[in-house]
Amino acid sequence: MSIKKQKDQNKKIAKGGLDDWGRYDFMGKGPAFTVLSLLAVVISLGIIMSQGFRYGIDFAGGTEVQVQFSSKPPVGEIRGFLDTLVGGVMVQTLGEDNEVLIRMQMAKGSNEKEVNERNNERIQTVTTSLLDQFQLGKDSIRRVDTVGPQVGEELKTKGLLAIVYSLLMILIYVGLRFDYKYAPAAVICLFHDAFITLGIFALLGKEVNIQILAAILTIIGYSLNDTIVNFDRIRENEVVYKGKDMLFIINRSINDVLSRTVLTSLTTLMAVIALYLFAGGVIEDLAFTLGIGVVVGTYSSIYVAAPLVVLTEKLSKQWGMA
Amino acid sequence: MLESLRARLTIVAVVVVLALVWTLPNMVDTSGIWWPSHDKLSYGLDIQGGLHLVLGIDVEKAVQERISKMTYTMKTELDKEKNVTFGEVKVLDPSTGTIRLYFNNPADKKAVQDYMEDTRFGQGQVFQTLDVTSEYIESRFYEAELRNFKKSLVDRTIETIRNRIDEFGVKEPTIAAQSDDRILVQLPGVEDSSQAKNLINQTAKLEFMIVDPEFMPGTPRMEEVMGWVQEVEEKEGFNLGQENMRYSDYVARINTSLKDRLPKDRIIRFEKAENAKTLEAGKIPYVLQTDALMGGETLSDAAVSLDQVGQPIVVFSFDAKGAKEFGELTTKHVKKLLAIVLDGVVQTAPNLREPITGGRGQIEMGRSGDRQKSIDDANLTAMVLRSGALPAELEQLEERTVGPTLGKDSIERGKFAGLIGAGLVFLFMLIYYKSYGVLADLALALNVTMILAILTSLQATLTLPGVAGIVLTIGMAVDANVIIYERIKEEIAKGAGLLGAIKEGYVRAFTAILDANVTTAAVCVVLMYFGTGPIRGFAITLLIGIITSMFTAIFFTRTLLNLFVGKLKWQIAP
Repeated sequence: MSIKKQKDQNKKIAKGGLDDWGRYDFMGKGPAFTVLSLLAVVISLGIIMSQGFRYGIDFAGGTEVQVQFSSKPPVGEIRGFLDTLVGGVMVQTLGEDNEVLIRMQMAKGSNEKEVNERNNERIQTVTTSLLDQFQLGKDSIRRVDTVGPQVGEELKTKGLLAIVYSLLMILIYVGLRFDYKYAPAAVICLFHDAFITLGIFALLGKEVNIQILAAILTIIGYSLNDTIVNFDRIRENEVVYKGKDMLFIINRSINDVLSRTVLTSLTTLMAVIALYLFAGGVIEDLAFTLGIGVVVGTYSSIYVAAPLVVLTEKLSKQWGMA
Repeated sequence: MLESLRARLTIVAVVVVLALVWTLPNMVDTSGIWWPSHDKLSYGLDIQGGLHLVLGIDVEKAVQERISKMTYTMKTELDKEKNVTFGEVKVLDPSTGTIRLYFNNPADKKAVQDYMEDTRFGQGQVFQTLDVTSEYIESRFYEAELRNFKKSLVDRTIETIRNRIDEFGVKEPTIAAQSDDRILVQLPGVEDSSQAKNLINQTAKLEFMIVDPEFMPGTPRMEEVMGWVQEVEEKEGFNLGQENMRYSDYVARINTSLKDRLPKDRIIRFEKAENAKTLEAGKIPYVLQTDALMGGETLSDAAVSLDQVGQPIVVFSFDAKGAKEFGELTTKHVKKLLAIVLDGVVQTAPNLREPITGGRGQIEMGRSGDRQKSIDDANLTAMVLRSGALPAELEQLEERTVGPTLGKDSIERGKFAGLIGAGLVFLFMLIYYKSYGVLADLALALNVTMILAILTSLQATLTLPGVAGIVLTIGMAVDANVIIYERIKEEIAKGAGLLGAIKEGYVRAFTAILDANVTTAAVCVVLMYFGTGPIRGFAITLLIGIITSMFTAIFFTRTLLNLFVGKLKWQIAP
């Protein structure tokens, strides 16, 4: 594309020059989206509280065994066999493969040591008798994970600490980087994203484990990207469009960086969707979380963060005058 | 930013060369040719398969054992040197080594206290006096002593496990302390996880005990003992076949219940009958003398051999001290039965036809009919005897086993997903930005190469989530280019010249890019600190990707633009 042609096209986008409100009217419909976001957060919190999360063995403790069959696995038969053998077993097929995932809660015992011992004995019992019963080769046991009470407890604590420290670092950064007008909006935005992502997890009954936790934290960092890029532009435009009201400046800024916002989300989504569709296993859930986070984060940087800046601006003016 | 194009090009060239130096050995076989580095990426257990174990050390029990050993020494020494005896010793808190020692006579108070405060038990002073009354003295381990003891416990345990694993022949095992009472064991490529676990957990306590001649096998007295055992089992309603009844617990209960019927200093241990499948199905009791025993600490070597009829046996030899002790024991009790007891189970009880003074002996394996099993048993026994006993009991807290096929499948699928994702992003940038897209794609390719090079040079572990981190970086890294290009477009629209627009685009976009990356980087650092194996891999690759993308997306593309647009005067715009 020649420079001449490019200039014309860009001029069309930026038509009206300094007085243009921007190509798309984001802030005009702002209040409607504010209501939508609020509703989404409330519903998410409701689902989380009423249904709770399904914690993976990382946090809850217990055992997972992944077994491969040569043909379609007889799930009912496996469940029946293991139920009589050890009891309390969940069996599900895994993907389109001939694999099953067997999940067992932590064994019961009077103390932690006993629980650990029984967990370990149970692995032995389950794997050997399963191979025997269904005449499978040793390689059929693809994966065994067992987390005992102490480690589960520790992973929970570490996960919680990771959340706390991530938030703390982000808050400190936002506090240093932005003044009172922007910081609260960025922070609220961040919780908005986290709650909705978690809400979707609770709704779908997806398992929450360490990978998911890591993905959610990454998303929090990532979605702040969009917000920060928007805010950077707003600050810049506050100087360029001195005297215009905040609503104008914000709408204009969002439009200025809109193509960037959309493009980046798009490329990230491409990578994430490829992972979700093809990588399978552990990565599938990680990609799922990242995907939700990218979408919600992009949305919130436009429809949650920006209106909140207008709001804090208004409130601060009111209080300032009073 | 560097303004000299030549300097910029030099830096880019150096980075590209360095990136290739470390990345290429992963792609092609460089072993035969000259190349600066032959390091390859190291894969995590989730990719190469293997066993991951977290073991807890029972520190309290070890402290308790140490206390009982020390009180035994104290008893004999005080008695010998000062003619002082004391009564019961209570362990109040094994976690701090707090004990209460009761005096037989209040007048002994001073002697006992002095002795406890002065005695060094090998290393430093051990006991700190907390309280002294006319009845007892209460002491605890000094903080430093307790710390040293725990540390040495962990070190010795790691050493023993390492010895055993070495025997097992695992390449590059990780055996390390995770905290002051935990050990992490990672065995890449191990396929038989249960065998490896057995090997690690074998307690391997070897004892030689004389069988009480009054209770020779086959005699009526022995029949009587068998009856007692059965009686206790029936009366108290427990047996070895019960779920969760461990042999050690079972033996302890039998001995407690029969304590009054057995002569003094006698205990019962069992042997597994030759043709029995389990100990429960055919256990043969032995009455052993606890006043005529010897431990296996002085063992110097053990190996598998075959006896005259070709059955596998374990032959062992003692060091000089052990040979002397063994000689004395067998001389004193010649013509009696010598039971060789491994972990409380009688392995064999040969007749001592003559004293064994040469310091050598042998253990026969049970002739269970399955020869392969006998050979395996013999190997395991010899291995465990060679590597010595574990200094403390272990508790398995976490286990993660990944089979070799799963890891291979996972990495194949991960690579495929990565290629698709990268391909899409490449194509998209090319279509949307044309010539500038080529630049962005070049930057992306360099970025991935740099990530792999840095991972290889740091010998960091690539895990499955780590692969996801690289793919995610590919999606996110173009963000910087998008920000810059969009800015350049804007500047051009505002009427700036091409070169001016490019300069302005990079300068103005820089803070936004930096800001956007700092938060993600901060989360990565937190995850590296708190995450476990695979997640740490994710955080590391993502963090490296963020850093390298700053170089490739900003410095690298700007250099090329300076070259093409600034120097060569190509009229290209985004």
